[in-house]
Amino acid sequence: MTVFKFSLKRSFSNKTNLLLLTLFPIAFIFFPEGEYWPVLPYGYQYFGIVLLFISIRLTTIILVDRAKGVVKRLAVAPISYGSYLCQNLLAFSVILVMQCAIVVYGGVLLGVELYQPHWLMLLYVSFSFTSLAIALAWISIFRSKESAFLIYMSLVTLLAILGGLLMPLQIFPEALIRIAVLFPTYWLNQGMSWIASEGPVGDFILINGVLWLYTIIFMILGSTRKIH
Amino acid sequence: MRVLSTVRFTLLRMLRNYIVLLLLLIVPIVLISLFSLILSGAVTDTGEPYLKQPAVSLVLCFQLFGGSTVMYMIHSELFTEHRARMQMLPISLTMYAFSIMLCGVVYSVMLGVILMTFTQFVLGVIWEHWLWTIYLITLMAILSSVVYLVFMLAVKVYKTAERLSEVYGIGFILLAGLFFPMPDHAFFRFMGSYGNPLTLSTIAIHEMSMNNTSKAWFAANILLAATIILFLVMMVVGRRRFMRDRV
Repeated sequence: MTVFKFSLKRSFSNKTNLLLLTLFPIAFIFFPEGEYWPVLPYGYQYFGIVLLFISIRLTTIILVDRAKGVVKRLAVAPISYGSYLCQNLLAFSVILVMQCAIVVYGGVLLGVELYQPHWLMLLYVSFSFTSLAIALAWISIFRSKESAFLIYMSLVTLLAILGGLLMPLQIFPEALIRIAVLFPTYWLNQGMSWIASEGPVGDFILINGVLWLYTIIFMILGSTRKIH
Repeated sequence: MRVLSTVRFTLLRMLRNYIVLLLLLIVPIVLISLFSLILSGAVTDTGEPYLKQPAVSLVLCFQLFGGSTVMYMIHSELFTEHRARMQMLPISLTMYAFSIMLCGVVYSVMLGVILMTFTQFVLGVIWEHWLWTIYLITLMAILSSVVYLVFMLAVKVYKTAERLSEVYGIGFILLAGLFFPMPDHAFFRFMGSYGNPLTLSTIAIHEMSMNNTSKAWFAANILLAATIILFLVMMVVGRRRFMRDRV
């Protein structure tokens, strides 16, 4: 578990990351509630975007490793690429799950209206794996850390709008609502409205299933070893 | 005036940075097209299209990030990579720094004007006072490059300055209440109105379209005053930094 340990250490050693990983989620608990929209307070509505953002910041460690030739050295070291990748991903997911827990249960402690906090936690965990997988697939096509990050952020903005995280889907024209189904953010949004409306459990399982499907697809795309 | 011969190359270097073009031109164009698709011609009670407000905010928002090219170029030309080379040249470095700043502002304003043209001719948002809007875009561009330079010059580590500049951009967008309404508190009320360059310029453009000339000039002049004060601060901090780094 050496890689896991160092991956955790590296994630927290950067000062910006330290701020992002600790204070940022806490700040999101205190965001105000919307009047008609969104159903959950703004902080919880936008938390999906934060998860996407943090995943790309975390996964750039793998990109840096590739750029610096660490992956090349690992190829001759007595450790398989699979185990290197898994340990890294495990470290990232531990961090992400911790953040979800801080946001959800911190909110519960402070008495924020979250309807069903445990289901919300489950939804966030599913989505954080999806966002991790997307980020992993994304960095596999880049060589430079900065361009990967900046282009991804513009993509995230589009994903957030088209998935209905930044604007209510109800005002979208018909065609865009149909296209929205393609984006993982749409399913996160659906999950959050399910939590507020307390529908049948089957729907919620379907939503999580779709998120996990995305996770598997992007994980497969992103997990190939590339040595430059 | 030997500096003038460098201007061409400064501009070329800025234009060739495709990441900046993508972030400050393509992204806002895609965003505003998306908004226009979503709002699809809806109008308010007064007959003004709903798209007008997001269009104004978007054009001005992206000016908050326009200083990044200036910050990056001045850092590499006068403080790190090319510093020794530039000191060898028979040009005034102060003038050179100004020329870079000016180029950055012109470039940023140009991107803003392209965005305005796009929204007017493709999406049908009517900008009533082109010159007034361009004046405010210019003010915002100058302010953002001055602020970015103050960050770069006052903070030792360049990465920290970069983070601070992001905080400046995103912070003022948040404080303007574009993502969600800010709590009703004296501080947030001030930062959502006269303490915020974004809202100041929005107010100026809005009042001018309502023909309240005096109110519009008042908002624009606050912006101008802030720019001038920060410019002086930048001059002082910059000279000290340049002398301190002297080898």
